[in-house]
Amino acid sequence: MKSVFFSRFFILLPWVLIVIIMIDIDSKRTIRAPAAGRTGKTQRAVRTGAPGIGGSQNQSALPIIYAITPTYGRPVQKAELTRLSHAFRQVPRFHWIVVEDSTARTELVARFLARCGVPYTHLHVFTPRRFKRAGMPRATEQRNAALTWLRQHRSRRDSGVVFFADDDNTYSLELFEEMRSTRGVSIWPVGFVGGRAYERPLVSGGKVVGWYTGWRPDRPFATDMAGFAVNLQMILANPRAQFKRRGSQPGMQESDFLKQITKVTDLEPKANNCTRVLVWHTRTEKPHLANEPKHRKDTVAIEV
Amino acid sequence: MPKRRDIVAIILIVLPWTLLITVWHQSTLTPLLTTRKGKKKYDRTDGHSNSRNTFAFKESCSLQNRDIVEVVRTEYIYSRPPPWSDILPTIHIITPTYSRPVQKAELTRLANTLLHVVNLHWILVEDSQRRTSLVSHLLHNTGLNYTHLNVETPRNYKVRGDTRDPRIPRGTIQRNLALRWLRETFSVNTSQPGVVYFADDDNTYSLELFEEMRSTKKVSVWPVAFVGGLRYESPKVNTLGKVFGWKTVFDPHRPFAIDMAGFAVNLQLILSKPQAYFKLRGVKGGYQESSLLKELVTLSDLEPKAANCTKVLVWHTRTEKPVLVNEGKKGFTDSNVEI
Repeated sequence: MKSVFFSRFFILLPWVLIVIIMIDIDSKRTIRAPAAGRTGKTQRAVRTGAPGIGGSQNQSALPIIYAITPTYGRPVQKAELTRLSHAFRQVPRFHWIVVEDSTARTELVARFLARCGVPYTHLHVFTPRRFKRAGMPRATEQRNAALTWLRQHRSRRDSGVVFFADDDNTYSLELFEEMRSTRGVSIWPVGFVGGRAYERPLVSGGKVVGWYTGWRPDRPFATDMAGFAVNLQMILANPRAQFKRRGSQPGMQESDFLKQITKVTDLEPKANNCTRVLVWHTRTEKPHLANEPKHRKDTVAIEV
Repeated sequence: MPKRRDIVAIILIVLPWTLLITVWHQSTLTPLLTTRKGKKKYDRTDGHSNSRNTFAFKESCSLQNRDIVEVVRTEYIYSRPPPWSDILPTIHIITPTYSRPVQKAELTRLANTLLHVVNLHWILVEDSQRRTSLVSHLLHNTGLNYTHLNVETPRNYKVRGDTRDPRIPRGTIQRNLALRWLRETFSVNTSQPGVVYFADDDNTYSLELFEEMRSTKKVSVWPVAFVGGLRYESPKVNTLGKVFGWKTVFDPHRPFAIDMAGFAVNLQLILSKPQAYFKLRGVKGGYQESSLLKELVTLSDLEPKAANCTKVLVWHTRTEKPVLVNEGKKGFTDSNVEI
């Protein structure tokens, strides 16, 4: 009798262990996640539609803001991305799409993004040298790659707002709350473009009726890349809308793109009927590196 | 002869053990898998980070090890600024600023950075006759812990036009005012530990930097990018962890060949040496920092940070003057719209 009992016990033992471990793993997954992320939710909970933990329920209904940032290697790249990430880290429900102008993902950007504190997607597409001459539109391929990614990885069920965040601009935190309510295409003033202190749409009766700019006000959409945001569904509904390279004139990138998806009368003015500047088209100087030796003389290789 | 019963028994015994072994394997292999995936696949990498700063990053790593199936994506909800801690020393950031078109943009992105730092006190000193409403509103709206001062640089000291005349130090009077304010506000034997750092409004600071400088006992130093015509300038640190020189091309024989953004001073040191100020007159270009530091410490007292001065955590970026040709002489845009 005893032997039978023992044999049965030993047969059952591993099963019991498995069940305990499975329960343990499950509970660890759901418990630890919010502890690490304050009011976080696990992705599983999002997928099954379970309500959020604590006060994050309202947050889960907010549309995600997708920022598309084309970037390229130059000395100030890491610095620019760093301060950009500091702004983005403050924004809830945010997703950063960084597209490098390179043939492969660089270590610098990969390592940087891993600890930037923002949910991100790291893409890359190389722009051939012949497209990098003065007067040619820049970052076209990178932005298009990001749009393609969005079209492949997001569906009609996802709510979101897409905007184009160049890595040297300055964004105030208010801007993100303004753009989150975009239903179609929203628009606002931008500082330091068009050769003026700011460029802005003229608004009357809640609609855009004209453009206040110092450069080519005859453009269909006289705004800068940082001056508008598009609802994600609009991007998905217009699968052919891309940034043009062939036949594009300098400074017409925004107009050529927006023409494909909306009309001026449908634009939603933000920032107090376009009277406040919440984003500035700052540019960072090229640093003076005259004293760098031709061949690396330092004993260590330090990333800047 | 294998009986059916025996076969069933054998299966019943073997199966759970194999399951257990595979589960164990998976839990040890997933960290390898997740790091390898990041390098191979073309279109993947939906990365995430649920950490607030570099210390918490390790926590998130271990979390990922346990996740066998899914990448846990947590929302980064920030409450700004972070709650005050009673244990950590306060970092007093002294920023001189002056009116120019990009001022609000610069202060905005500096504020975006500072909002992440716990126990921070921002001392903003304007170069103006009166405190401007632009800066006052900005400071108020950030929610940061701040002190707003102002002092106007007398005309004969101001930089004329755009010439960067190295004999005229910029921001000096403002920094000195901030130092004086600190000495008036905190008594010498104050119980509140603090660290003082001079942060210009156009530089770029990583969040790690503030945690590195928090442990300053006297004066700490680290490399700064884009100064002295180099990718970065840094102190020379020997194997004992002491600074013995400066890795610069521009005048490496300065007593302290370091940029304003490259050092931090313990508050006690500032308070205990009330005569130490930035020298105003007769300072050669690049010697401003030395004029203060030589009254506070000697070379051997310097504490190297940033992994013995091998990491760059602050960049001396400069913002271009925006092209405003279309404003014309009288100014075209509405001056009531604040930029």
